[in-house]
Amino acid sequence: MNKKSAGSIPGIAFFRRNIGTIIGLILLVVIISVSTPRFLTASNLLNLLRSNAVNAIISCGMLMAILLGEIDISVGSTVGLSGIIGAYMITNAGLPVGLTVVICLGVGALVGIVNGVAISYLKVPAFVATLATQSIGRGLTEIISGGVTIRVRNDAYTSIGNTSVGGVSVIIIYAAVVLVFTWFLLNRTRFGYYIYALGGNKLAAQYSGVNVKKYNMLPYVLIGLFCGLGGLIWSARLGSAAATLGSGFEMDAIAAVVIGGTSMSGGVGTVGGTFIGILIIGVITNGLNLMGINSFWQEVFKGIIILAAVIIDVVRKSRSKE
Amino acid sequence: MSETKLLQMSNITKAFASNVVLNGVDISVDEGEVVAILGENGAGKSTLIKILGGIYKADAGEIRIHGEIRNINSSAVAGENGIRIIHQEIVLVPDRTIAANVFLGREPKNKFGLVDVAEMERQTQKLIDDLHLNLRADQMVRSLTMGMQQLVEIIKAISADAKIVVMDEPTSSLSQGEVEILFGIIRLLREKNIGIIYISHRLEELFEITDRIVVLRDGKMVGDIRTKEADRDHLISLMVGRELSSFYTKNKHDIGKVALEARNLSHTKLFSNASFTARYGEIVGFAGLVGAGRTELMKTVFGAYPKSGGEIFLDGRPVDIRSPQDAIRNGIAYVSEDRRGEGLILKNDVKFNMGLVCLSDFVNGIHVRDKEWNNMVEDYRKKFSIKITSPRQLAGNLSGGNQQKIVLSKWLAKNPKVIILDEPTRGIDVGAKAEIYSIIDGLAARGACIIMISSELPEIINMCNRCYVMCEGKITGEINETEFSQEAMMALATKSE
Repeated sequence: MNKKSAGSIPGIAFFRRNIGTIIGLILLVVIISVSTPRFLTASNLLNLLRSNAVNAIISCGMLMAILLGEIDISVGSTVGLSGIIGAYMITNAGLPVGLTVVICLGVGALVGIVNGVAISYLKVPAFVATLATQSIGRGLTEIISGGVTIRVRNDAYTSIGNTSVGGVSVIIIYAAVVLVFTWFLLNRTRFGYYIYALGGNKLAAQYSGVNVKKYNMLPYVLIGLFCGLGGLIWSARLGSAAATLGSGFEMDAIAAVVIGGTSMSGGVGTVGGTFIGILIIGVITNGLNLMGINSFWQEVFKGIIILAAVIIDVVRKSRSKE
Repeated sequence: MSETKLLQMSNITKAFASNVVLNGVDISVDEGEVVAILGENGAGKSTLIKILGGIYKADAGEIRIHGEIRNINSSAVAGENGIRIIHQEIVLVPDRTIAANVFLGREPKNKFGLVDVAEMERQTQKLIDDLHLNLRADQMVRSLTMGMQQLVEIIKAISADAKIVVMDEPTSSLSQGEVEILFGIIRLLREKNIGIIYISHRLEELFEITDRIVVLRDGKMVGDIRTKEADRDHLISLMVGRELSSFYTKNKHDIGKVALEARNLSHTKLFSNASFTARYGEIVGFAGLVGAGRTELMKTVFGAYPKSGGEIFLDGRPVDIRSPQDAIRNGIAYVSEDRRGEGLILKNDVKFNMGLVCLSDFVNGIHVRDKEWNNMVEDYRKKFSIKITSPRQLAGNLSGGNQQKIVLSKWLAKNPKVIILDEPTRGIDVGAKAEIYSIIDGLAARGACIIMISSELPEIINMCNRCYVMCEGKITGEINETEFSQEAMMALATKSE
């Protein structure tokens, strides 16, 4: 057998697997660059990456849920809850920054544990379980904020989201770290292999000796943790937190994962594909902003791109089956 | 003569890319005739059926019905021509009634344009009664056994004037009693002058129910024999293209001490008081009808089902098995009867599937031992002559025989002491069956303790050293090799209290 087949070189395998979305992304970039010269500038591209960093972090979590053949729609509300608690702790309660960071991540993880226990041990369908925690989280966020925006005046806290390293916003670095972490997790650890196995065929995984309950639960804790991080970063970057923080984030994350070629029925999908999905969402939003198209139209375009991506994927799959 | 044929497919040729799947195949069916298509997996049976059903288009050849050329280019056109195909997989809506399923897509309407449920149920009940089935049209499909659901598929297929009915492995999920019902239905259809194409791997069935047997091999027709004049060995040699000197492999091996023992194992409702032993180097069969509780008993030994009472001993010591993980830790492997549903992750590749049980040998921390993993895949590929193009090939795209070899590899990599094989050759073609038998024999020769559930009695008789027979959740008897006979097994398998 040919030892150096194309599949064994990661770069080529990545391009081959994602050829459709890569072409789509390039087309988008070309169209937008032609329409507005302000798009292809270093400062705009960095801005694009920065404003999509939190979506990237949450999408990594969403990818795990969808790989399991499930979903987590509580992510946006968990970002909000963790962000508002962070702002409250630092401003109203006067806690030190270190402890506040731990609390933010802890809040996220706690929501994840609730989701995980409900889904994996109590057999509540993931959509219903996370719909419930979404509602609980959003309600708590409103209660804690009391309906007003909490301002953060602590410089150490806001610097968590506003520092640059060599001209690159630290938020981009957080996102890069989470993406690489997730890649390693899914491709280089038993945890990752078991997520693919569970999403592909839960019974076969169970009968092969996989601890199904544990590996169905843990990803949700990790998703919660990522959301906690997202809330922390977002409130730090804005220097404030409102009750609406994070609302709708689940939609962009699902969109990125699905555009990235992940199967909604589970078992198939990659971090690389999701990364391209995140970029496509980012380029659309950023490009349409620059072109002065209002945000309502952006929603319409996003929806069309999601549909197109999925239709192309379905057509390609049914062709390869013949 | 060809003018009077109900169905005449002539010179059918079909290639996918450069791969010729069918090469000038001729097949005809008369009114009221039951024609078997026999062939190994990959011989072209399913492609031929898909062409008849309008799913694929033939590259060359013609299809005539009553002598007239028909261009069957879609499944709708096939339906209009009275062609009904009953697939192996059951495609019913479980939470609807039998009647709603039978009339799905062509529900009768009343004068207000609403579905006429009463009329639908009346017509369905008439069909059921015509076939002498003990069913009610308003029963939910979910409440029926797999076998009965298969029969509902058949009712559905013949409910709107069928001319040609194709049955693809119709008995694979039927119990003995249900097979008899199916054969009764086939005889009724034959009386109504319906032509039947019957696909099955079970030669005994073909001898019982068909009039003519057409044998395909590598896309060509290699035999067209009247069933009365056919004999088993000749058919097998036509199918595989060589004489199978030894279909079953059974060498003498040393039988050692008791490996696994169950005492009074019970489940709340599926079986009770099951006691048995199995020794190292021994192949112990579990015979019985579908639904006798054999799979459930073994799944309980494997920890997938909870036991309500009784004990399990390994090497004479009691073991507490509460999950498949416990069983695997104790050296027990279970190869499921449902390869696609419980054995493999079809969306993933061969390498992934083969490594799943022993994953900790290949993935440690963030280190993936790709070399060892690839070597393991390559070893088993060679040892079991598994036909794959690359370790990255998806498990779902392989034939049944190759899939089963992958499941076996996955387990053997763990070096289990006790290997439970549940219907290890179900849905596998003849050539691969012989290979699986030889693998099983080899495992026992090397001292493994093998438990083999099988509904094919010849398989038990020719492979096992000893066998237990179950009926309705109880072990009704134990038979030693020297006293093996189909009659003795059937008597115990139907010995209800």
